[in-house]
Amino acid sequence: MSFFATIRWQDIVDILLNSYILFRLYVLFRETYVFRVLTGLSLLWIFQRIAVFFGLILTSWVLQGITALAALIIIIVFRNELRSVLQAKNLKAILWGFPQKSVPTTIQIITDSVNALSRRHIGALIVLPAKEDLKDMVQGGIPLRGLVSKEMITSIFWGDNPVHDGAAIIEGDRIAEVGVILPLSYRSDLPSQYGTRHRAALGLAEITDALIVVVSQETGNVLVAKDSKIKKIHGNAALIKILQEHMGVYEEENGYQQKERFKISIAAIVSVFFIAGMWLSFSKGLDSLITLEIPAEYTNRDPRFEIVKASVHTVRLDLAGSGTLIKSIQPEKVQVKLDLENAVVGQNIFSITQKDITLPPGIFLRKVVPSVIKVTLDETIQREIPVQIDWVGELPKGLILSKINFDPEKIEVIGGKRILENLSTIYTEKVNLDSMKTSGTMFANLALTPAALKIAPGSKDRIRIGYVIKPRIE
Amino acid sequence: MVRRYRFYTFLFVLLCANLFFVHRTFPQNNQNSAADTVQNELTFHHAVMCEEVKDLAPINPAVVFSIKIGKVSCFSVFDTVLEKTFIYHKWFHKDIPSTNKKLTVQPPRWATYSSIQLRETDKGPWRVEISDRKGNLLHILRFSITD
Repeated sequence: MSFFATIRWQDIVDILLNSYILFRLYVLFRETYVFRVLTGLSLLWIFQRIAVFFGLILTSWVLQGITALAALIIIIVFRNELRSVLQAKNLKAILWGFPQKSVPTTIQIITDSVNALSRRHIGALIVLPAKEDLKDMVQGGIPLRGLVSKEMITSIFWGDNPVHDGAAIIEGDRIAEVGVILPLSYRSDLPSQYGTRHRAALGLAEITDALIVVVSQETGNVLVAKDSKIKKIHGNAALIKILQEHMGVYEEENGYQQKERFKISIAAIVSVFFIAGMWLSFSKGLDSLITLEIPAEYTNRDPRFEIVKASVHTVRLDLAGSGTLIKSIQPEKVQVKLDLENAVVGQNIFSITQKDITLPPGIFLRKVVPSVIKVTLDETIQREIPVQIDWVGELPKGLILSKINFDPEKIEVIGGKRILENLSTIYTEKVNLDSMKTSGTMFANLALTPAALKIAPGSKDRIRIGYVIKPRIE
Repeated sequence: MVRRYRFYTFLFVLLCANLFFVHRTFPQNNQNSAADTVQNELTFHHAVMCEEVKDLAPINPAVVFSIKIGKVSCFSVFDTVLEKTFIYHKWFHKDIPSTNKKLTVQPPRWATYSSIQLRETDKGPWRVEISDRKGNLLHILRFSITD
């Protein structure tokens, strides 16, 4: 129960979003070479993790190298496949659609073939067995076991083909035998224009439950013989319907769709479990700790006030999280920000709480040191302060620096009221006497201490010093 | 007769205007009557920092002194002293008070000085604030002690 209490709504969104991305990748790339290679890569990665778990240093190192290299290769080798999936389809197809397989069915191929043969007046005899075995009913025949295709059927019944006079038996999606001799019907009530092909078709239909398609060489008519009956077929739709009824294809197609739906559902469930597992391994394994020194930042400070003193400038954070997240943590992504909106002039004491600390997702705060920061604020004022030259070193022997004049003698300084009220002099940076032998002019920068002080806009920040050097009276 | 009255009226108006002008131009004159009183007792003339004072004259006045000379003096001169009074020489090292010397000043004209012995830790910027007996600042001298 306590585990579920720690899950945030962002975590749910995180898992669902990534599960959907994984699921969509499966839908878009399934049954492509890319998907197979991706599957192989995933297996490699899993083996590598297992190798790491068992401490197999060399194996894990080699697998890691192969995985990294393979990831690069997949992008280069399969760039065309990737592009076709990502470019050829619209956004809706990428985000929502399910690509349908457009593989022509056996029925469609048979119909197209029969149609082509009929147009060219090429006689044909195609047998589609049902449940009964035809072995004892037919003679001859050459085993083929080739996949059904329009080109194959057409070529079987081509005039120059030695087997064109026989029948072709189609079982499922394969042409089982060609050049098969069928038993003839001896019925006397058949129309006179029916030739041997028609009689052969009817002969088999009389003794078996097979369906035989006949293409007449003379007329190009298409006929179907089944259950001792033979009838002429008008149009492709009628032939397709008869073939579907005979082969029970409606059920087959429904079964195929059900199978596809089942596959996709399984893929969706696996995606959710896989991502949830990854999320758990990433975010919930609080096995690693890290300590970071983070500078304290201050926000919403009244522009009239200025921070003159803080008890600390950095805060030590003890953070916990899974090893992977702790390793990938970037200190600049961790922030400690104190809100000075309600701060007043003088000393302010702030307790550092969770809301003052920004952490990357999946990282948790264990301890803050110190837990309290004292910040002293001061009102910002501007004041004119005298300048003094800070001489160092030693003049050459026998000389004295008898007189100086400098400009400006006073500068306008902006800073905290409490600081400026107690500040009586602004010194320059150290000015060395060692090389000064004669009178002259030089420039010196100001050394503002404390650093919070600023020179007011318009006030000079460099001092021009004119100096007079005289011989020393001994 | 009328012209005489006009002339006196003009003089009166001029006097009033003059008084008003003076009041507006130097308002600070009335702000510190105590300072006025004290400043009337003596008038600051000049002051210098020097290596030593001999026969009431500063020797080697300068703005930088080597620690090696061992001593530095602040020499100040007052040229109109109405009555016996005293002044202060407040010595500051890096803005931190170091010593405060009380010196007597006598009519009609007086020169006086104060000195400090130099130690190694005295290097750096110094200033001496010269003030009257009531603490009114008369002058500031700035100098440095170096190698």
